[in-house]
Amino acid sequence: MYDLRLFLSKKGRIKFVSHLDMFRMMQRTVRRADIPLWYTEGFNPHPYISFLLALSLGVESEGEPVDIRITGDMSPEEVKERLNKCLPEGLKVEAACVPFNKSGEITYGEYYCLFDKTEVSEAELYNALTSGELSCEKSGKQGKKKVIKTVNVSEHIKSFSLSDAGDDIKLYVVLPAGSTFNLNPIQLSSAISAFLGKEVIPVKVMRTALLTADMKKFS
Amino acid sequence: MDRKLERILPLVQKPARYIGGELNSVIKNKDEVDIRFAFCFPDSYEIGMSHLGMKILYSIANNREDTWCERVFAPWDDMEEQMRKNNIPLYALESGDPVKDFDIIGFTLQYELCYTNVLNMLDLAGLPVKARDRHSLSPIVMGGGPCVCNPEPIAEFFDLFSLGEGEEVNSEIMDLYKKHKKMGSTKEEFLIEAAKIEGVYVPSLYDITYNEDGTIKETKPLHGAPEKVTKRIIKDLDKVEYPENFVVPYIDVVHDRVTHEIFRGCIRGCRFCQAGFIYRPIREKNPDTINEQCKTLCKNTGYDEISLCSLSSSDYTKIEELLTKLLEWTGSEKVNIALPSLRVDNFSDELVKKLTGVRRSGLTFAPEAGTQRMRDVINKNVTEEELLETARIAFNNGYSAVKLYFMLGLPTETLEDVEGIGFLAKKVVDEFYMNPDKPKGKGCTVGISASSFVPKPFTPFQWEPQSTPEELETKQEHLKNNLPSKKISVSFHHIPTSFLEGVFARGDRRLGAVIEKAWEKGCKFDGWSEKFLFDTWMETFKELKVSPEFYANRRRDYEEVLPWDHLDFGVSKAFLMKESKKAYEAETTPHCRIKCAGCSANKLNGGKCDV
Repeated sequence: MYDLRLFLSKKGRIKFVSHLDMFRMMQRTVRRADIPLWYTEGFNPHPYISFLLALSLGVESEGEPVDIRITGDMSPEEVKERLNKCLPEGLKVEAACVPFNKSGEITYGEYYCLFDKTEVSEAELYNALTSGELSCEKSGKQGKKKVIKTVNVSEHIKSFSLSDAGDDIKLYVVLPAGSTFNLNPIQLSSAISAFLGKEVIPVKVMRTALLTADMKKFS
Repeated sequence: MDRKLERILPLVQKPARYIGGELNSVIKNKDEVDIRFAFCFPDSYEIGMSHLGMKILYSIANNREDTWCERVFAPWDDMEEQMRKNNIPLYALESGDPVKDFDIIGFTLQYELCYTNVLNMLDLAGLPVKARDRHSLSPIVMGGGPCVCNPEPIAEFFDLFSLGEGEEVNSEIMDLYKKHKKMGSTKEEFLIEAAKIEGVYVPSLYDITYNEDGTIKETKPLHGAPEKVTKRIIKDLDKVEYPENFVVPYIDVVHDRVTHEIFRGCIRGCRFCQAGFIYRPIREKNPDTINEQCKTLCKNTGYDEISLCSLSSSDYTKIEELLTKLLEWTGSEKVNIALPSLRVDNFSDELVKKLTGVRRSGLTFAPEAGTQRMRDVINKNVTEEELLETARIAFNNGYSAVKLYFMLGLPTETLEDVEGIGFLAKKVVDEFYMNPDKPKGKGCTVGISASSFVPKPFTPFQWEPQSTPEELETKQEHLKNNLPSKKISVSFHHIPTSFLEGVFARGDRRLGAVIEKAWEKGCKFDGWSEKFLFDTWMETFKELKVSPEFYANRRRDYEEVLPWDHLDFGVSKAFLMKESKKAYEAETTPHCRIKCAGCSANKLNGGKCDV
C-alpha cells in the first residue's frame, strides 16, 4: 500500500464541472480503470480520493494535485496510463508521483488570465493592478454565521505580469491559495471591474501551478 | 466550445448541464451520417438524464451507422434567459449544433405537465410550434412515451407519434425518412407513407368532428391512414438491443446509477394504474441476460449501484435466482443493488435477507387505499394482514422507517375510507412496538404520502369523473385531522397540479389552443410546483371558453367516443368496461398468474404472455 499524488489537468468545457462533481467523477473513473484503491473503513466504505485544493467553477488547470492510496503493487506509471484511458474528455493525468510536500504547504496559486482587448486595455489593467486600491467582497464564516467581508486585494497580489496575446491580453498572476486564505482570479477581476467601473470578465483563466511558501512548485 | 456560450455559462446555475462531453456520449462526424436525430426530454437535465427509455433509444439510434442521435433537455429559466438574450438557439449537447437543423426531433412524453416545455423548446430552437407551420420535410417532430396513449391535446404540435415501445419502430421511421429525404419528398408525402408503419400515428391524417354537447362525434382517417393505430411491442426482451453504455452525467441527477429493466407489463391489473395496462402483455427477461448486461454496464460506467426496475419487482418470477447471481459479484465489487416497486403480498423473508446484504434505506409500500372495500374497488388485491406481515418482516430485519403510498379521490371513496388510511398506518406503528427484538432507544416512523387520483385513458376508470379540487381538499383535511398516532407523518400532492394533469390526460384536440396560449403567457415547467402558474392556466381556459371541468370532472358514458378510441394499446375496451362494472361491486379480479382475465393484450404477442 502506498500514497500516490496525481497531477490532473482540466481543460476545455469540463471546467464547468464543480469540485464536488469532480470527486464523484474520479470515483467512477478509478472503478472503470480497475485501480486497486484503498477503501475507507467507515459505515459507507468509499475509495480514498482527495482533491487537495478546490478549483473554482470555470477555471482550467494544468495540474491539480489529487491524492489516492493504492493497495497492492501497481506502479505509478501504470496507474497513470490506466486512468488516462478512462478519464472523460478534457481531463488528463500529467504526472503521478509519491507525495513530496504536505497538502498544508500549498501557499500560492499561479494563474494566467486572458482578457478580451475590446473590453479592456493593457494600460487599464496595469493601472488597476498597481493602484493599491483593489478590493472585493468575499463571503466567509464567523463561527456559524455567514458574513460578507471586504478584502484588500491589492496587498495579496504576490506578483503579476502583462503581455500581448493577439486578440487578448494575457495576465500572469500569483495569488494566495491553500487552506488558510484563498483569492482567485475571478475575485481579482471583479475587484478590477469595481476599480475601472465596468465589467471586466476574463475569457479564460488557467491555474498553471500551486506553489509553496518559498515559491517552489508544490509536488 | 462556442465563445458566446462560454461567456454565459459562468452566469447560470449548474453550467455542467449545458456542456455535453460526458463519458460515453457519442460523437460522430456529421458529414458521414444521413440522419441527425435530436432526442429531446422536455424537462431539466437532472430529470431527463435519469430516464431509462432515452438511454435505450439513444444507444439503438447511434448503433446505426447512418444516424447520429444527440440529447437535448429543457434549459432552466436562467439559461433560457441568457440564450434568448444572446441569440443562442436550442442546441444538442453532443455537437452543440442548433436543433432546428436536425432531420428528426423526437420528444419523449413521460407526463402531461411537460407539454408547455415541448412548445418552449421548439420555440427556443427557432421553429414554429404548430406542425402545419413547419413546411419542409425536415425537421420531423415526433413524440413517444406513455402520454401518446392520448396525445390529442398536443396533436397539432407534432408531425407523428410513435405508439408503444420504440426500439424497432424508430428505426423503421428513420429508414423511411432517409428514403424520402433522398427522393426529395414533401413532408405530406412522407407522413402518408409513415402512417402505414404499424405503431405510427399521424394526427394530421385524422379529422375530428364534435357533437353539440362537446363530445366527439367521429374520428375519421384520411389518405388511407388506418382506422386504428396499434401500439408496438418488443416480442423478445432477451434479443432486443440493450445499451452497453450509459452516458454518465457529471452532476448529480435524480437516478444516477445503472438501471436495468427486468420485465415489461404487469400481472396485477390495479384499476387506477395506467402503466399496469398500457405496457401489457407481460414479458420477462432472462436472469442471465440481465446479470451479464449489469456487469457490462457497471464496468463501462463505473457506477456502484444497480437498480432493478419494473412495475412490480417482486412479481418477477426469477427474482431470487437473479439476486443470487448478482450478489455473487456485486459484493466484492462494492456494488449496491436497489429493488424498488415491491409489493406487500409477496415480500418474502428470503428476499429481504438478500436485500439486507446491501446498503439499507427505508422501505416503501403502496397499499393505495385505507380500507379493504376501497382496495377491492381498485383491485389492489392486498389485505391488511399482508401489509402487517410485511411490516413485521421489515421491522424484524432492522428497518424502522416505513413509507406508505395512498391515493385520495378514488371512485366510490367515502370519508370512512379516508380515515381508514390513518388507522392502517397506526396498525403498522403498533407492529413495530410489538416486535420483541426492536432496536432499543429507536422509535419508528411511518410516513403517509397521499396523492390525488387522476383517471387515465386505457384504465377501467377512464370513464370516471376526477374528484374536484374542493372535494380533494376536504379529504386531505379530513385525513390530517384524523391521524391516530404521532409516529405518523403525512404529505400530500399539490391539488391544482393533479387537476391540470387530469384535464390533459383525457383531453382532446381543442386543448391545443389552451396549451399554446398558456405557454405564450409564460407557463412552463408546470410539473415544478414553484413554477406552476395555476391562475394563468385558469384565466386561459376562461379566455378561450374551454371548460377544464368538462375534461376532468365529467362522467363519460360507455357509449361516448373517447378521444383515444382510434388508438389501440392492446387491452380491449370491452375488458375495461367489464372491470369498471366490477369495481362498482367491489369485486376483485385475480392477477394474471392465477387466472387470465382476458384483457386481449396478448394478441400483440401472438397470443403469448409470460405468466
